[in-house]
Order: sequence, then structure tokens, then C-alpha cells
Amino acid sequence: MSDLKRVDDVTWEIPPTGGMRVPGRIFASDALMEVAAMGEATQQVANVAHLPGIVEASFAMPDIHWGYGFPIGGVAATDIDDGGVVSPGGVGFDICCGVRLLASDLTVDDFRRHRDAIMANLDARIPRGPGTGAIAPESLVPKVLSEGAAAAVEAGYGWEEDLERCEERGTSQGGDPAAISEKAMTRGRGQLGSLGAGNHFLEVQYVDRVVDPEAAEVFGLREGAVTVMIHCGSRGLGHQTCTDHLRLMGQAMARHGITVPDRQLACVPVRSEEGSDYMAALAAASNFAWANRHILAHAARESFADALGVSPRQIGMRLVFDVAHNLAKIERHTVGGAELELCVHRKGATRAFGPGHPALPEDLRPVGQPVLIPGSMGTASWVLRGVEGNPAFDSAAHGAGRVMSRRRAKRERSGRQVAEDMRSEGVDVRPGSVSLLSEEAPYAYKDVDEVVRVCDAARLAAPVARVRPLGVVKG
Amino acid sequence: MAHRVLSHTADIGIEVTAPSLDALFDELLSATFQLTSPTDADRAAVTTRSVEVSAETLEDLVVDTLSEFLFIAETEDQHFCGFRSQVDGDRLVARVEGDARPLRRDQASGAAIKAVTYHELVVERRGEEWFARVYFDV
Repeated sequence: MSDLKRVDDVTWEIPPTGGMRVPGRIFASDALMEVAAMGEATQQVANVAHLPGIVEASFAMPDIHWGYGFPIGGVAATDIDDGGVVSPGGVGFDICCGVRLLASDLTVDDFRRHRDAIMANLDARIPRGPGTGAIAPESLVPKVLSEGAAAAVEAGYGWEEDLERCEERGTSQGGDPAAISEKAMTRGRGQLGSLGAGNHFLEVQYVDRVVDPEAAEVFGLREGAVTVMIHCGSRGLGHQTCTDHLRLMGQAMARHGITVPDRQLACVPVRSEEGSDYMAALAAASNFAWANRHILAHAARESFADALGVSPRQIGMRLVFDVAHNLAKIERHTVGGAELELCVHRKGATRAFGPGHPALPEDLRPVGQPVLIPGSMGTASWVLRGVEGNPAFDSAAHGAGRVMSRRRAKRERSGRQVAEDMRSEGVDVRPGSVSLLSEEAPYAYKDVDEVVRVCDAARLAAPVARVRPLGVVKG
Repeated sequence: MAHRVLSHTADIGIEVTAPSLDALFDELLSATFQLTSPTDADRAAVTTRSVEVSAETLEDLVVDTLSEFLFIAETEDQHFCGFRSQVDGDRLVARVEGDARPLRRDQASGAAIKAVTYHELVVERRGEEWFARVYFDV
């Protein structure tokens, strides 16, 4: 995009032109901006700035890349008292996709001694790949849609104290099973407690570097400890819910006098009948996702414990945090000196509340919310913390961000070669499909360390600890 | 009839040209399921599924028809390997028969499509041919 202007080392601005209501603002270094300029990501930042009611700017996180409608890494907040809209495309098809991290008391040596048994258990117990296959029974789905992770705990998956360490305590208020279409229910019934495919994973890791000891202590992370990271979302139930409402909103926009530059940005005012319907469905699908990760975490705990012949509590396996990166939420933020009620869209962006935020549990308030940034499999992932003065509605990056298309990644090396590469690096890989493994190979992603460096420099979030993979269960 | 696969940083797309609207739908559907299971070793069809879709625009008709077959494939663990479409472009109704067979997990070697998007969606007549471009979320 020709009118992209540099603001400082890690901030770029797209001045408003045409129908843009606010500027675009991208947080990226020179290296990351080169990737952002590929495809249509910067144009998509500008397109999002057309949304009615958008305030401050159309933001993009350092892992920005070409999406559909919104860029991946896009953040947009609309003032709901001023006709602000909600856009299903600003959430994405995988509603409430997110990441959770468990921290164990095990060392890397402990893991290596029991690696074959642990990985075999995970391989057998974590449903993955496209289509059906689930840990939890279909009968649990309706309750999950209303109550989220709390329903999973009541059904025996996970621990009560886990809920304190989940964004929104693992329950999106207002989730209404009646707002979910029959098609979405049909897709979700056989998928509660499953990873799915694509970039979703369950990874066994270890903490290889702590850079903020005080926050690491609060989060329960110590150098050398084994951790488990889970990345997945609301499966077919969420995908169908997004499809349903994109179609409805596409038809409703004319009635609301709204035009957008890309139909994937279809939107309606939050305070409209269609907006209310979507928010209820969004909450229900989010509840599916919170519970889905909770149930998978339970299976991971059992897999470790059974392999070692102990109970999960005997080896820690505490929940560090669970945070979404595809969601729209009503939050209060100060804009131009006024506190406004905003609909904050984070499409491939993580909520990052700073120290003292009242939504955080008491023990996390001194240091801020854990922010989980998975890298590519085979490299590293990071745990950061929210900071004060975040310039993008308390948002940060959500991953390394792709740099290479799936097709090109597959041409570079075969899935079998990628598996061999990872095994030679000491990473035990259990793919759902060997041939798909190369799509998610480390070379298909940006350098996660650079993404984290820019998050820190732009005051989006501050690094706490880096974790490296020991074993990967791929969707 | 021809199709080509479009590269996209995170997702994937297809462009299709065909001599008729019926053929365009046949090729769009075939290309979509070649993305999901390119290794089509066992083409023996065991069932035929019929779908009727109506919509308000031609673009919606494409999205809804593709979505309907992907829905059946996901919820019934099926793979589609042949299509016969009858599309009424004036009334915006598509009647499509698809040949389905059970999906073996080891055949699901292609893209796991979550949804059909409206991003840069095009369905139009170009001279004597029909053209469509569709991106998928994977």
C-alpha cells in the first residue's frame, strides 16, 4: 500500500482516505512489515476502517497476514452507543479459537523417561483431524452452550479452580442454545473434546528461558518445567454459526444502510435484532470452545498421569491460563478522554489486560494477564503478560503468523521429511495426517521471537518466558 | 472445464472456468473435494446424494451449494467424487447429485475446509464461458 507511513520503529499508519472512518495502524518491524505487505493484509486493515462506529484506528498486530475480510491479527473496536457494528468476519469462522497452557512439576528428564507412554496416551486419547470424533458425549453439548467450561467441570472434566484461570472464567454470558442453528448443532454434536485440523495442536513443551521471574512465579512457570499447550476452537459448530450469520448480515446490511468494501466484512449494529441474535450465538459457540479446550486439557492430564502411574494433581498440571484470539466482546475503554462501551473484535489477536484490571483474578492482578503466543511447531512459543498503556484496546499478537502459503509449504518438503526434521531435533511428532504436516512446518511461519520483540517494543505485552517443544500432537 | 488453485497466505482458493453454469457448479464442487482429498485412489461410489439449494444471488447460490456438500461430508464422514448439477440461473436454484463414499481417515490428506468465504467471491459470465473464484477458510 503506497500511503503507508512510518510512525516509529514498530508503528506504521495508513491515513484515512475514501470511506475510511479512522486510520489504519500496524505494529511491525521492517522484517515483519515485509510479510505484512505480501498479499492484501494492509489493504484489509484499510477496509476494516470503513466499519460504522469504529473508533481510534483499525489496528493490526505484529503477526499480521492476509486473511479474508479482516486481516489475521486485526483489532477493531466500535462504539455501540454510536451505531457501532459487530461483524462475524471480525471474529472469524473458528469462534473463540484460543490457547491454554498447563504447567507441570515434571522436568524434561522426567518427560524423557516416560515419553513413549505419555505420547502414546496422547496419540490415542486426543481426537483430531476433520470430521467427527470427540471425548465428551453429545448429551453435554446443550449445557455447554449455556455454561461453557463450568459445564465441563460439573461433568467431571477438569478442576473447579481451573475456571479462575480462564478468560471470562470460561463462560461467555448470554450463551443461548436456541441461537445455534440445527446445522451448527449437527456439526458440533460429535466434536466436543476434539482438536480439529489445520494449525491446531496439543504440544508438550518445557520452559527454556524465563525473562520476567516475578511474573513467571505468579503464573506458576519455572525454568526446565514441562508444560502442555493446547490450540483449538469451536470446531464445526462455530464455523457453521459464522456462516449462518454472515449470510443473514449480508442480507440485512441494506436495511441498515451499511456498505462495506468486502462482503466478508458484513456487519450490523450491535444494538439491532440481527446484532443481538449474533451476540447470543457468538456467546454459545464461545462456550463450546472454552469447554472444548477444558475437556482436551483433562485428557492431557489423564494421559500424563496414567503414563506415570500417579494422579494428575501429584504432577501439578495446573492451568496457567486460557485465552481466546478470535472473539468480539463488549468492553469498556477510554477513547479521547471518554469511557465508552465498545464491541472489540480480535481476529487473530489476544486480549491482554494489564496489571490491576478488575477482570483478572486477584493473584494475577499485580503482574497482568498471561498472553499466550504459540510459535510454529518445532521452534518456540512465548508467554507474555499484559501491560499498562496498551495502545490497541488491550490486545496483542496471537502467534507467529504465516509467511508462506500452505501449497508452497507442501512443495518445500514432504510431511514425512518435516516429521523426520522434527524428530532429529528431539521433538516427538504424532500427526493426524502425515501429508498435512508440511503445511504447518516451521519454515511456513514468521520468527516468533521477532513478533514477541515487537509486542514488547510497541507496549502491547511484555515477555515472561519462552517454551520449546518436546512432543506435538497435530490436528 | 478447468480450475486452478489459488495461493493465499493462510487459506486457499480456487478459480474455475466452464462452458455452462451447470458445468461451472460441477467443476467448483469437484475442485473443492480435490482440495480436501487429492489422493483419490478409491473412486467407487457407494451412494448418491441429492441436494437442492435456492438463494437470492448467484454468489450466494455458489456459497450455499458448496457449504451444503461440505456439511454432509463433515457430519457423515463422506467424500464426494462426482457431481451432476442442474442450475437455473434465473430462479437461482441448484439441484445437484453427488457421488459419495465413506471417508477413510488416511485419505483425508488435503485441506480441512472450515467454511466457504465471501472474500473476493466472483461468479460471472465472461464471454462464452462462466467464471468463479472462491476462497475457503482452512
